[in-house]
Amino acid sequence: MDPETRVLQVDNNIDELSRIADFIEQLAGEWSFQPSLTFQLNLVLEEAFANIVSYGYDDVEVHRVEILFSYSNPELSITICDDGHEYDPTQRAELDITLPAEERPVGGLGIYLIRKFMDSVEYRRIDNKNYLILSKKTGIETARNETL
Amino acid sequence: MNIKVETLNEIKIASIDGRIDSTNSGEFEKPIIKTIDDGCLKMIVDCSGLNYISSSGLRVFLAAQKKMKALSGTLLLCGLQPAIKEVFDIAGFSLIFKVFPERDSALNSLSQ
Repeated sequence: MDPETRVLQVDNNIDELSRIADFIEQLAGEWSFQPSLTFQLNLVLEEAFANIVSYGYDDVEVHRVEILFSYSNPELSITICDDGHEYDPTQRAELDITLPAEERPVGGLGIYLIRKFMDSVEYRRIDNKNYLILSKKTGIETARNETL
Repeated sequence: MNIKVETLNEIKIASIDGRIDSTNSGEFEKPIIKTIDDGCLKMIVDCSGLNYISSSGLRVFLAAQKKMKALSGTLLLCGLQPAIKEVFDIAGFSLIFKVFPERDSALNSLSQ
């Protein structure tokens, strides 16, 4: 069966976060997602979107960020596309979460959470655009707790 | 998000309601950091009303804990909802914060 798809376009403005949250809420209803998955999707998309807004652009122009959701139970795929600076978050070094508070770096948590909450994170740069592709099997808890 | 700071003897209790995200983490940071800067060495953050947090909010918790540690003070958390607890666990924050089920047990720990 072909996956169902939904697209949300937002501006590169952090205030668009509420529209992203509303859209996820609506999808969660349509696709019968568990509240825990809805929470995780909100978190993961906020982290990815906040990075684009904070670091993607030097100019003051309005840029369009496109978020494509594709769902074929249980496979959920989310592609976030922006025309900002080239940035591959999958190349970021793994965060050491066992360090004491005094030594913990303040940055890098967002990407870390995306990796942990999703099953796979892929990056592509095509035609001067960033594509971040996040996938997760719905209804199945990932094995992330094994690392703790 | 709403944040309320109460005083109980030398203990400050900050209660948070709602969500902490990239749009409002500064509103959370200001009163928390100010409370520590004003000389509080015993603080409880009551998270029972907190229903969403992203890395922007986690960063504030981490910054507060770094400050408290540097001052040899104590920062305790209580009342984390399951989804929030999961984020704290995954981020490794359960290793750097003492988390209590509810406010009374956190208070007991501070008065010992």
